Amino acid sequence: MKYVKEKLWLLCCISAAAIIVFGLSPLALPKNTFDPKLFGMPYVLWVNILLSIGLVLLTVLGTFVHPGSINSSEE
Amino acid sequence: MITIFIVIAIIYIGVLVTFSLMTRKKNKDSTSYFLAGSKVGSVLGIFTLAATLFSTFTIIGMPDFFRTHGIGSWLFLAFSDAVMVFGIITVGYYLRKTARREDFRGLSGLMAKCYKNKYAGYITFVGAFIFLVPYVAIQIRGIAIFLNATFTHALPIWGWAILIVLIMLVYSEVGGLKAIIYSDMLQGIILLVVICIIAYNCVSYFGNLENLFSKVEEVNTQLLSVPGPKGLFTTQFLITSMIAITMIPFTQPQVVTRIIIMKNYRSLFRMAIGLGVFALIIIFATLCIGMYGAVKYPELNTAEFISAVLISDQSNFVAAFAILGLIAAAISTSDSQIFALGGELRSLLSGNDKKMIGITKVAIVFFGLVVLAFSLMASDELVLLARTSFTGTALMAPMIFLAIFSTRRLKMLIPILTMMAMLIFISSLLGLIPNMVFGLNLDLLLILLLTLASLAAYRLSPIGD
Repeated sequence: MKYVKEKLWLLCCISAAAIIVFGLSPLALPKNTFDPKLFGMPYVLWVNILLSIGLVLLTVLGTFVHPGSINSSEE
Repeated sequence: MITIFIVIAIIYIGVLVTFSLMTRKKNKDSTSYFLAGSKVGSVLGIFTLAATLFSTFTIIGMPDFFRTHGIGSWLFLAFSDAVMVFGIITVGYYLRKTARREDFRGLSGLMAKCYKNKYAGYITFVGAFIFLVPYVAIQIRGIAIFLNATFTHALPIWGWAILIVLIMLVYSEVGGLKAIIYSDMLQGIILLVVICIIAYNCVSYFGNLENLFSKVEEVNTQLLSVPGPKGLFTTQFLITSMIAITMIPFTQPQVVTRIIIMKNYRSLFRMAIGLGVFALIIIFATLCIGMYGAVKYPELNTAEFISAVLISDQSNFVAAFAILGLIAAAISTSDSQIFALGGELRSLLSGNDKKMIGITKVAIVFFGLVVLAFSLMASDELVLLARTSFTGTALMAPMIFLAIFSTRRLKMLIPILTMMAMLIFISSLLGLIPNMVFGLNLDLLLILLLTLASLAAYRLSPIGD
């Protein structure tokens, strides 16, 4: 179980790094681009809102598999 | 509106006084006074950290930043905050382990212990002092300017600044960190509710979000993309800002303390998640307010815009709470930082506990007076000045990370290099040296070089204590 959690935690870290790299790349930050829109919001904004929500969700997932959750009895 | 404001302000001050008196009796030693007994639960943790992080710079600065520079501001703050909360659960765990091992009293004391050299502690303390004082000062200045513009004949800017610093010092000195944490909870709730109501009103004015953004497109298309109308949001600017903001929980003493004093890992993790949700809600609200301002008040200066959107365009009841929310935001961030500087000083002192608490209390008053003096001189560029403060403290991140993660014997090379980097950064802020080197922002270059130096120092340092 501990081994699986460690692998999942590693996966969370890699996913977070991927979101950060994507969020700062020209794919998420194209200059002077407005379309496609979502609820009227321009592309750069809604993509980055989704990425931010994704990171917070990863944090939620991360708390279940983080080494601290495994060793919480140590405190 | 003034009558409502006076009534709720009296209730608010009454609650602050109650918190201070309640917690005063429990403050028997340094740990209870400076670290609130180190048993803070997740709900209190969320609000105290949120109130400490989301300050005047968020309520006044961010709507204005969205209005002036457009939607790239989301990436500047909200995306960076989302990265930060992931960082809190990742690094926070190791920070707490190190802190427990070294009997944490403050970040400066922790560095002195990890590097086994008191000068590492002094460098951390001086770095925190130099970069936090201007940040606290702009909070005070921002709110004092706003209050002066709102209540034209009541008090001059310096009068409001003195009043705020006085309130802050009195309840912090009397109640200690526990009083600050309780008041942060109150301030965090006021801030969240008020800003959401105002944002809702701003969107309702246009009918819905879609109409709001189509109006913004008519006024200034560049606000809806990067790099923004003034070309601020370059990739380098965003990367440096993200690093600076992500490092706040590990380099700014008031946030480090809040991570350490959480009851257990579970409380810490819940706090991180709550903070992430809080950040996204509040920054989305400031986005709506900023976009509203871009359409309705594109020509006004910051104080006039904020006064119009938070006061004139709202009902008397909401306006009164908005003013209180602003004061609460300024106070909650400033008191935490000034108090944290006191805690840092305490962590470097040794001797009789009661005597040291007394010395530190005097030092907190001194820090308050320094902040007051700076607030009367600071510039009005709230967000950019805040970013400078974040970047300045972020320069300490490689030194702190090395101390947290290393199990090897650490030498003073990295603290000395950190001190030199801070001096170089300050020189560039003063215009003595250029802020671009080989096409790279100097702050980004310094962080990269310190990171490389820390990795090399770790590899080369001898194994064992």
